[in-house]
Amino acid sequence: MGATELLQFALAGLKNGSIYALVALGFTLVYAATGVINFAQGEFYMLGGMLSVWAYAGLGLPLPLAGLVGVVSTAAIGVIFELLAIRQRKDGDPLALIIITVGGSMVLSSMARHLFGPNERPLPLFSGGGSVSVFGAVLEVQTIWIIGMTAIAVACLWYLYNRTGLGRAMRACAVNRDAARIVGIDTRLMVTVSFLLAAGLGALAGLAVTPLTQTAFDVGPTVGIKGFAAAILGGLGNPIAAVVGGLVLGMLESVSIAFISSTYKDAIALVVLLAVLFVRPQGLLGRSRREKV
Amino acid sequence: MATTRWRFGLVVTLVAAMAIVSLSACAADDDSGDDGAASAEPYRIGAVLSLSGTYAGLGEPEKNTIEMEVERINEAGGVNGRSIVVLIEDDATDAETAVAVTTRLIEQDEVIALIGATGTGGTMAMRQEVDRAGIPQVSIAGGTVITADFDPLVFQTPWSNSLVVPFTFRYLEEQGISKIAVIADSGGFGADGVAVIKDQITGTSLELVAEESFNPGDTDMTAQLTKIKGSGAEAVLLWNAGREAATVAKNMATLDLGVPLIGSHGNARVEFIEGAADAAEDFVFAAGKVLIPEAYGTDSEEYEVATDFIERYTERFGKAPDTFAGHAYDALYIIVEAMKRLDEGFTAEELRDEIEKTSGFVGIGGVFTFSPTDHNGLSDDDLVMYRVSDGGWVLEE
Repeated sequence: MGATELLQFALAGLKNGSIYALVALGFTLVYAATGVINFAQGEFYMLGGMLSVWAYAGLGLPLPLAGLVGVVSTAAIGVIFELLAIRQRKDGDPLALIIITVGGSMVLSSMARHLFGPNERPLPLFSGGGSVSVFGAVLEVQTIWIIGMTAIAVACLWYLYNRTGLGRAMRACAVNRDAARIVGIDTRLMVTVSFLLAAGLGALAGLAVTPLTQTAFDVGPTVGIKGFAAAILGGLGNPIAAVVGGLVLGMLESVSIAFISSTYKDAIALVVLLAVLFVRPQGLLGRSRREKV
Repeated sequence: MATTRWRFGLVVTLVAAMAIVSLSACAADDDSGDDGAASAEPYRIGAVLSLSGTYAGLGEPEKNTIEMEVERINEAGGVNGRSIVVLIEDDATDAETAVAVTTRLIEQDEVIALIGATGTGGTMAMRQEVDRAGIPQVSIAGGTVITADFDPLVFQTPWSNSLVVPFTFRYLEEQGISKIAVIADSGGFGADGVAVIKDQITGTSLELVAEESFNPGDTDMTAQLTKIKGSGAEAVLLWNAGREAATVAKNMATLDLGVPLIGSHGNARVEFIEGAADAAEDFVFAAGKVLIPEAYGTDSEEYEVATDFIERYTERFGKAPDTFAGHAYDALYIIVEAMKRLDEGFTAEELRDEIEKTSGFVGIGGVFTFSPTDHNGLSDDDLVMYRVSDGGWVLEE
């Protein structure tokens, strides 16, 4: 196996990893505010792609505007979902909320099936076709878009969490809801904001990946599982950890294909995930639950 | 006074009659055509289709076709003066659900024959119920196992992989290719295809130098294709019926493998070309002649049957039927034609025997001739190679 091939495997891992990372960020956001895993996150990814395709092909909008419509309307759906389903559960019992998100994901994908039909739908590449050569290996321009968007999202989230009152309030919510409420934080609003951001981020991921893979009403669960695994691997609640988790997961799969077998790539990635969690239950970069806000 | 009252009564009666007629028309619509030649109790056929879940894209044209053709059959007098009803159930692309709805169709609706399921998994899961009830089943799924794992009650209309793989091999040999790589999904269709490829490659001049797989829903296959690139393969064989096929084509174009990509009948969908765009150019695959009916020969009966069906379908649903619509058409007519050959009051067993006697039936997928050992009934003559060119299909020379 030559150096160029090894580099190509690395780039393939980087590409898949950056997709997982962008999806993982959404899991991390909701977890940080509510302490629950939002299993509807994959559906936000699906809606981002689907609604953008609808705006682009159905309404005939130019691609940047169609993408904006897709992301903004998905974010709105995220807020509606939170208000109608999550907020109604007054005690905030995590288990009940997780099951609500599972139900919500089924509702969202069924609705997409009926509104947009069962077939896969394409979206053009953001900046035309083409790829760049990296020492003989190739990388699609669209992948650079995905990596760039992930980087910007992480930078914005880091700023939000560490430099703004809103971010600090969201983190306080995650650590202790009751205590946060006592010091005057509107915890319910924080949850709504987290769903708004998570849905928007999920939609952004769906929008960025659709030109490469097409989208359909049923893409959510598969991508959701990968993003979830990436978020767990990195350590929940921390945007940088989510990105690290995504990249490590993508690389693991790529290495499995290169040196073992493509048949077992998911199984191998899963075994490594379990092994990591066995040694570090909080994930690669996760800190223990005690946290100062 | 009396006249006014009489007139009023007439109007009320007319309005009531109209309401009843329109209501019953609606009801008939729900049952996919309960009208027409209904003098006696209609014949009941069950259909298990995937209208939701992964195979929803296949189940929809199948349902459209069955509804359209049942209306046509009943308008033409039904079967020996009795109308037919096809009761359509959704299995949600789930084997367990397929079993449950099959039981309901058999026990509650007392169907005399079954169409389906859309997928190979559902088809195989239905078998226990079909065997128990002893009624014929005509599957519209492509898995080789359906007829290879022989059951006297089970028939199959799509071209099975055991027919398409040797046909594709002959094409590769004619092209002077000797080393091939295969990339397939780990799901039903891909895994079935890979098993047949490995089985049938012995005895050909071809050599399998790389075998890679991906999972349904995967977002990138660059790593697998990089491995294939290093294997020295002169052609890549892709066996996948899902949206991942377009991703494989695009990844392959990005890596610039420089060898042809050969697909299968699973890629005979416009969605594949739309998804892969430029990367779909020069993609070659084997499928039935329905995509370009001229392949049948314009003076043949097959050509007339196919163009008539395509015209009616396109007019009604606003888009051309795909190959899956054709499989449903064939399954329905194979059952109906067998029923027509039988006398009133036939049993399910007699119907099975009669379906097996189907000979030279001109359908959309080809010309069907079943035998006690062949329940797929198609041959090489029903297949043709296509090439994607300028965003459409052309016949490969």
